[in-house]
Amino acid sequence: MTLTRRAFVGRSGAAFAGLALTSTFAARAIAQGSDTLRIALSARGFRTLDPARSIQGADEWAIIHMFDTLVDMPLGRFPDSVEEVQPSLAESWTASEDSRTWTFKLRPDVQFHKGYGPLTSEDVKFSFDRLLNPEELGVRSALYENLESVTADTPDTVTLQLKLPDPLFIMGTLLHHSASIVSKKAYEEKGTEAFERDPIGTGPYQLESVAEDPSQGILLAANPDYWGEAPLVPRLQTMYIADTTARTLALMSGDIHMMEGVRAPGWVPSIQAQSPGLHFDVASPGSFFTISFNLAAPPFDDVRVRQAVAYLIDRGQIAEAMAPFGQRTWGINPPSFPGGFTAETIPEEIRYERNVEKAKELLAEAGHPNGFSFKAYTSQREDYSSIMLMIQQLLREGGVEMELELRDHTAFHADQATGTNTLYQRSAAYPPVPTQAISEQLAATSEVKPDGSGGPNFSRYGVVVPGIDEMLAATMAESDLEKRLAMVRDMEVKILTDLPLLPIVTNGYMMVRAADLDLGYEVQSGYAHWRLTKASFAG
Amino acid sequence: MTRYIVVRLLDAIPTVLLVLTLVFIAMRILPGDPAVAALGDFATPEQREAFREKMGLNAPLWQQYLTFVVNSLTLDFGASMMNGRDVLGLIAYNLPYTIELTIASVLLGVLIGVPFGVWAATNPNRAPDSAMRGFSLIGYAVPDFYLGALLLIVFSLNLGWFPINGGGEGFLDRMHHVFLPALTLAFIKAAFLGRLTRTALLEVLGRDYIRTARAKGAREPRVIYRHGLRNALLPLTTGLGLTTLTALSGSVAIELVFNRPGLGKLLISAIAERDYAVIQGGIVVFALFVVAINLAMDLAYVLVDPRIRVS
Repeated sequence: MTLTRRAFVGRSGAAFAGLALTSTFAARAIAQGSDTLRIALSARGFRTLDPARSIQGADEWAIIHMFDTLVDMPLGRFPDSVEEVQPSLAESWTASEDSRTWTFKLRPDVQFHKGYGPLTSEDVKFSFDRLLNPEELGVRSALYENLESVTADTPDTVTLQLKLPDPLFIMGTLLHHSASIVSKKAYEEKGTEAFERDPIGTGPYQLESVAEDPSQGILLAANPDYWGEAPLVPRLQTMYIADTTARTLALMSGDIHMMEGVRAPGWVPSIQAQSPGLHFDVASPGSFFTISFNLAAPPFDDVRVRQAVAYLIDRGQIAEAMAPFGQRTWGINPPSFPGGFTAETIPEEIRYERNVEKAKELLAEAGHPNGFSFKAYTSQREDYSSIMLMIQQLLREGGVEMELELRDHTAFHADQATGTNTLYQRSAAYPPVPTQAISEQLAATSEVKPDGSGGPNFSRYGVVVPGIDEMLAATMAESDLEKRLAMVRDMEVKILTDLPLLPIVTNGYMMVRAADLDLGYEVQSGYAHWRLTKASFAG
Repeated sequence: MTRYIVVRLLDAIPTVLLVLTLVFIAMRILPGDPAVAALGDFATPEQREAFREKMGLNAPLWQQYLTFVVNSLTLDFGASMMNGRDVLGLIAYNLPYTIELTIASVLLGVLIGVPFGVWAATNPNRAPDSAMRGFSLIGYAVPDFYLGALLLIVFSLNLGWFPINGGGEGFLDRMHHVFLPALTLAFIKAAFLGRLTRTALLEVLGRDYIRTARAKGAREPRVIYRHGLRNALLPLTTGLGLTTLTALSGSVAIELVFNRPGLGKLLISAIAERDYAVIQGGIVVFALFVVAINLAMDLAYVLVDPRIRVS
């Protein structure tokens, strides 16, 4: 048989077209009906799957599906009160009158993954003891400072003893993923490092594999022995795709079903314009974006200058620009948190609505009739740089010139940790425990140190301007919830009067979901992750 | 020849040592604390201190340097500071993807660029030559990450012909995954190689021996490919070496855009996370590759041009 050049070209063309069509149909087939729910997160790769050691939000999407905590949140939101806290591994609990002793009755017949046996109070004790052990390189020990001891009373009863009263204990610390219960047997058998890559919990999914390629991430399979309702989708894959464009293209092509959104102004409208069917789920309040002033150095050592800055920053306008994830906040705690000030309850003198004239008056009184200029640096990360550029523009209108330098995100944090900025910024998420944002950012014990060993109290509040630590200690010792919340509000009034720190906006955590993926419930608030056990594909 | 290779390898030792030193210094002056990057904001000062101790970051700098050099020479780069994985294992997993991308892009670049250059050189100042100039201009001007995104949108997102993520598994799947990223890099390489081929061939085609070959009645394809192109190979070999090196460095951006595994993507992630162990290991392996490619080019000169002696 002879093959002419014309025939060769023709057959090659047909073969190429056939290959292309096959590829097309193959690609479309992936996008439709899948037994694996695939989500892409903004991270470069997994760090650890041990709930006590995790510091990367992307890992926590896998962690919360592999582990259970003693108690749980209502689906899709933080509880509004302790009464709304849901049973999980604990089917019931009681608290002593002073809110220091919490006793939990464990659910019967809960099995750990892969044949590691039934859950007992020893596993619970082991999980919390691990968090309290200074020898362990756990990074969440600060959350458990108030936990004194854990006792396994009977095989199905466990008692957690606190140092100080905490009426919100079950809706704060215990809802955090680090309070997940791990298998004592598995941890001791595998050892610390192996457990980080092959953990054993009781959750609705169990680990199937960890891919070498971060973009393929972690594959979980439904736990056949799960004590609760089985997940609707048999497999869950959490993928690490740091590049925004790659993540967005993967979602639009149907390669993945959910992706972590970008918290930058204009991003949501641009994506909506291209794919109007996408869903945007936002867990509020998310991260609290605050700016702090150095109380020990001019010009921000003068409260009038700090107040002038507060009057120049239009926080409503910034929240609007960051919508739908950005929300206006009034006090240190957002309106949705217990004790948090709302637009209606915030006292007039600490409301700080934009008022350029008043700001100029305050500046003139402080000896800056023509304004002043200063240098500051911020992170290249979208949320930091966007907000700081808006603040720069708003300050300029009052004669305050902020020369802003952009730095790599890691370098930015490293530099701020040594106390070298002038207008410090912080974006951090907190559980609905109203004292936590205050103790972490404003207590004297958290003061920033030049060698980087201090905490995120960049203002040096409590050291330069004393008083807050005494108020904080009194609040922490109060066991009555209503009295405690009133004391939190008193602290907020003092803080916003002294103004070491100004809350700017809360940026909710956003995930973008394919049009055909039904979550099974509505996301309103919570941490930067939520369970996908009720998720299903339409049609 | 063996002696020549050994001498060239010995020549490379100071280069490698210099690279190791520069990498070590760069890591230490890079702002950002690896302990904070690894443990996060919530770790206590004691925990950060314990981490630095465990990773050997508290030892005197000279001691850290010596340990790093000695370990590097035995390819022991330690464990990732982020997730404890063996750095050599991470490199061994990612490197083949970068190599296949580099080879595929150079091959495609040669397959597109050289014939295009020949076509332009044999039609000087006519339409093919103008087309070559236009192609070169675009090839030089368009950034690879932008071209990559365009190709992704057209061929992966809209037409669905190629995958959007990952590096693939198994030979055919991997070739399917590498084609579009390789084409992106090849486009720029082809512009460079095409231009180089055109210039080198035009010069050769004006030589006496070409005129003689034609006078003897040799057919035009034989004149161009056997007598012309073979004699234009020397500058092309240099061009090919440069192209391979730029393909290797260009893979960093392309691996990010196409979200495929590779040494470039691994390095970028490690730099952002201040993962000293991975950065050091990755850069050392990159540097070794550059040395190896340069050596291969030197050897190729000898093969291509018999006038060059290994002495």
